[in-house]
Amino acid sequence: MWAVMKKEFKSYFYSPVGYVFIGLFLIMFSIFFYIDVFNYQSTNFEYIFYSGATILTFIVPVLTMRTIAEERKNGTEQLLLTSPLSITKVVIGKFLAATLIVIITELCTFMYFGILCFFGKPHITTALITMLGFLLLAISYISFGILASSITENQIIAGVITIGFFILTWFLPQFSEIFTNFSLINMFSKFPTGQIDIADTVTFITFTIACILLTILFMQRRKSVR
Amino acid sequence: MNMLTGFIEQTEGEIIIDGYNMLKKPKKAKREIGYMPEGVPLYTDLTVKEFVNYMAEIKNVNKKERKEKVEKIIEETGLKDVEKKLIKNLSRGYKQRVSMAGSLVGEPKILILDEPTVGLDPKQITEIRNLIKELGKTHTVILSSHILSEVSQICNKVIIINKGKIVAVDTPENLENKVSNDNSIYVTVEDTDNKIEKITEKITGIKKLELIQSNEDGTKQYIIEAEKDVDLRKSIFAEFAKENITIFEMKKVDSTLEDAFMKLIEGGNK
Repeated sequence: MWAVMKKEFKSYFYSPVGYVFIGLFLIMFSIFFYIDVFNYQSTNFEYIFYSGATILTFIVPVLTMRTIAEERKNGTEQLLLTSPLSITKVVIGKFLAATLIVIITELCTFMYFGILCFFGKPHITTALITMLGFLLLAISYISFGILASSITENQIIAGVITIGFFILTWFLPQFSEIFTNFSLINMFSKFPTGQIDIADTVTFITFTIACILLTILFMQRRKSVR
Repeated sequence: MNMLTGFIEQTEGEIIIDGYNMLKKPKKAKREIGYMPEGVPLYTDLTVKEFVNYMAEIKNVNKKERKEKVEKIIEETGLKDVEKKLIKNLSRGYKQRVSMAGSLVGEPKILILDEPTVGLDPKQITEIRNLIKELGKTHTVILSSHILSEVSQICNKVIIINKGKIVAVDTPENLENKVSNDNSIYVTVEDTDNKIEKITEKITGIKKLELIQSNEDGTKQYIIEAEKDVDLRKSIFAEFAKENITIFEMKKVDSTLEDAFMKLIEGGNK
């Protein structure tokens, strides 16, 4: 598992994907930071993460679309599946590698917190809670992205499915209130106010586990039906 | 092949690798196998050394010995010069070696090689074949190939499978001998007056004479089928010389593994 994670993490930086993900996120985050701080005269660090969640929706697929689809296309899947590693370990290794990239990105956003300290007194606990929420949102996104990647051989299709699903869950509550509880991005909205909602936390984690399990199931199934 | 390596689950029957059932104890069974897939899939953005090292990691090679073993395998497969190069920049022959190195990691008892010499130039083919022969001394090597001359060169046991059924299990020599019941000779002669038909009537033991082709330089190639256990070459030479027919070429028809293969497959289809 750790071997897969290490290799996946490294290959994010052998290809431009890792740099693109972190760079793109920070550029967008900086723009929103600028708007918040200078246009609204606010020193509220947490609220930028609302925009951050929006960015995340669009760039997580960059990170996840290649994970399994590429292995399948290049045939390197055979190397993994014929090694003594179990599928579970392969999938979790890939998931952890992507999560690690998001954590690094999040740590980078701390510099904005530092900048704000010059101008006012941002609240560190709220900031940390927001980051926790953000991480929870990120892992659910990543796990779904990997699931999408496991059902197709084509990276682009995997990416489109992922973005499509995210946007769907984002806008569905506007059509009917029933969907409010299904919107991942809405579930995140309470964290920046400084409260950890147990229900939301549990939903995020359950969603993540469900997606990973489904991915494992899909890969297992492909082994017997071919 | 895919089922043997645990890539696909079998639909019926059992797969037992060195005493371990593939379905029940996949971890132990898979550890005994080194698999080199067809088309050599590799992580092209890794260097050779990183790749072999990664394979060692996912095959649970002991951490302390890993570095040493990776080093040894790179040496054995002749990759020392390119170990720091990215795999995507290597030639096909080297990629094949890298793939083989990957399958050798973890000291498996059984090596399964799927079409190991496809797409290589003759020099690389001989190199890979020699490597396989070398490995055959210490491992059980299962080789799948469509190049039958290669099979008869390297292997000491052949299994021919047609439509999922085993048609034959034997040594290549035995298979070749099985089909060589006809005893034929190729001759290329210069025969301007077409005397050959008359002459062959005189020689006893000839079953059939057949013209294969007339060459541009006036020579003709025939195939002469003889009765079993009769070597006609001597009498043909003597008789042809008497009638002033010049023999340009004469050789016995050797049956190859290809012939054996064709016969067995045709037999199976009927």
